[in-house]
Amino acid sequence: MATVLLDVDVLVLAPLALIIGITALWLLQLLCIDIDKRMLEKLRHQHEAFARFTNFTGVLFQGLSHALGYTVTHSGVAHFKVTVNYSKVEPKREKQGAFAWTSTLLLYLGPFLLPTGIMLLYSYFVLTNGFSFPASVQYTFVRTLSNFGGTISTFTQSMGRFLVSMDLLNPVHVLFLLILLFLGLGIRPSYIGEERKEKVNFLYDLKNVTMHFIKKPLYILVFFAVVYGLFLLSLALNANWYVVFFSVLGLFSVIGIIALLLAFLLLALIWTSDKIAPGWRLVPFLTLPISYGAIRTLFFYVPQDNILGWSLLGMILATIVVTVLLIKYKKTNRFKTVGWMKHTRVADGKKRASQK
Amino acid sequence: MEKKELLKNEQVERLLSPHPLSFMKLQTLCIFMIVWGIVVFWLANSPQYGGWLKGNLWFPFMFWAIILLFIGVIASLVAIQWSIFLLYLGVVLGGLGLLFWQPLWQKDFQSLILFILVYSIIVSIIGFLIVELYRRSHKYYITNLRIIFKGGLLTKRERTIRYDKISDINSRQGILGQIFGFGTIIPISESGFGLGSDKSMAGGGVEVGGTKARLFGFAGGGKEVQTPIARSYYELHGVYPFKDVQKLVENMVQSHVPTQYQKEQVEFTKQQVDIQKQMRDLLHQQVKGKPRTKTMKQKPAEEEEEPEEEESEKEEEAFPQEQVDIQKQMQELLKKQRVMRPAKDEAEEEEEAEEEEEEKKKDEREVA
Repeated sequence: MATVLLDVDVLVLAPLALIIGITALWLLQLLCIDIDKRMLEKLRHQHEAFARFTNFTGVLFQGLSHALGYTVTHSGVAHFKVTVNYSKVEPKREKQGAFAWTSTLLLYLGPFLLPTGIMLLYSYFVLTNGFSFPASVQYTFVRTLSNFGGTISTFTQSMGRFLVSMDLLNPVHVLFLLILLFLGLGIRPSYIGEERKEKVNFLYDLKNVTMHFIKKPLYILVFFAVVYGLFLLSLALNANWYVVFFSVLGLFSVIGIIALLLAFLLLALIWTSDKIAPGWRLVPFLTLPISYGAIRTLFFYVPQDNILGWSLLGMILATIVVTVLLIKYKKTNRFKTVGWMKHTRVADGKKRASQK
Repeated sequence: MEKKELLKNEQVERLLSPHPLSFMKLQTLCIFMIVWGIVVFWLANSPQYGGWLKGNLWFPFMFWAIILLFIGVIASLVAIQWSIFLLYLGVVLGGLGLLFWQPLWQKDFQSLILFILVYSIIVSIIGFLIVELYRRSHKYYITNLRIIFKGGLLTKRERTIRYDKISDINSRQGILGQIFGFGTIIPISESGFGLGSDKSMAGGGVEVGGTKARLFGFAGGGKEVQTPIARSYYELHGVYPFKDVQKLVENMVQSHVPTQYQKEQVEFTKQQVDIQKQMRDLLHQQVKGKPRTKTMKQKPAEEEEEPEEEESEKEEEAFPQEQVDIQKQMQELLKKQRVMRPAKDEAEEEEEAEEEEEEKKKDEREVA
């Protein structure tokens, strides 16, 4: 067992390092969610079905997290219902105290952990050299934080390399990308309830979690006791469990942030294509597969290094160029796409240009 | 729908057809076929995973066909619709037939896996087109009197249900329907049309170790629960906008339920009774105020044969102003009674008037 100098830095500050790191990543993820939701809000009036779809995925993850909370605490799930607007999960047995607190905490934090956890498992099979955890840990604030950062950095680089050299003719890669987009679009719902009064945004999540902790201050002490306990156990056994545990939580956040950034690109493409005249609006979306197929065919006959990366780059550039040209020459008449007119048409189901 | 198909006074309130995504179950079969074709092609070309497929020329086709049929069985059991399995069986047999018909496609490994890919895509596209044609063959007419369902590609099927015969309305909206705003409405008739039960059975046998050890398995399941089930041409399948249509149908049914009709009839009868009471009172007044000569009027036929002019003069002399007023009031009441008949449309009244005129003309001819 290695000799460790026990001082304030080791005993008090080192465990806090990872809590701070995780909190920072989580806040960054919340910020990305808010950016996506704001973008989606702009699209809502023209893409009501798309907005409902993203809301449904968010509500689904939330419902699953809620059910997981009841299952973990042995409360049991008596009723489970997920609709486009809300989810309803009822326990078989109402439990009090720490059980209730844990299940509610999972309801709030689960949507950030559950889908990203599934993606982390998937990425284990797809990524190469993405998972490297430090074998031994020097238990100081700076060292713990740098170890945590190193793990996160390795994974992020590996994921980045994978994304820029993705083979879109490989079903496994395509499925990975689709699930990542699915996750990014629905990591949190935009609203809850048919009336859409309860808007889910950055502040909504923060308020919920803060209130949850404030209501039961004793549990905050329990939380820190568990965290410090795990740290001291790792310290005593000279194992890196503490760093690994928080690093995995950090990887969840990284996957979430990458998914949200990809979803943002998709939302931006939809938002941009709305500026194009209706007959031409699908062209940018068709350019994606067509240009990729064309470039891959070209490289099939003219072999080059890093074909996958160049094909992706070519596809993105072709889509940008086509979209810009269409916006320049086939711009839609903005008067026809005013939001309230569209709402009127959708609301009564009749095709009508304006409100009577 | 042609105008001659409509009943008297019938108006089409809404013409509907299923939403393009409402037949997603059928479209999923096609999507799966495309995806599976691509996966087999990719696997066969993959040096990492597809080595075992290169053992025999026919391995990729067998692998493709077995998985397709297996999924077909699973889907058929879940959906309780064996046509899915038969469809996939047809696709596999079709592919096999094409391979034997054109040996060029099975001359080497690459040709065969390319055939599987292209065949899967072409069959799926044909499938999509058939599903789309099938969808477009559906038409639902919601009129003020009934709902007419029409559908079917080759065999044309039609169902008509009057609102007063609808005993229950079942509505269903899946996740896709909630997202895109469409849903299915099944009007259940008093005869039970629109209700059904689910049953699913599967059997199989496995022989292990030749004649000495045999293992047979049999699995079956059935449930006799009455659930609202109808073919897409006998229900309002995937109609958009769902909530509006649902409200429209429910309002129509509500306005045609017998209790409502009976209420109107009772009200009408009450008014009729009131008028008749007034008429009776007036008759009493008339009888009390009549001169003797009037009561003497019902006498032998000889007296009746007197000249009409004289009689009218006599009557005018006999009836005082009070009697004339009573008669006027009675005439007004009679008019009111006529007006109070159950509401009829102008067209019906015109037809009735025409019929009356024709009858009059007939009578005149007969007289002539």
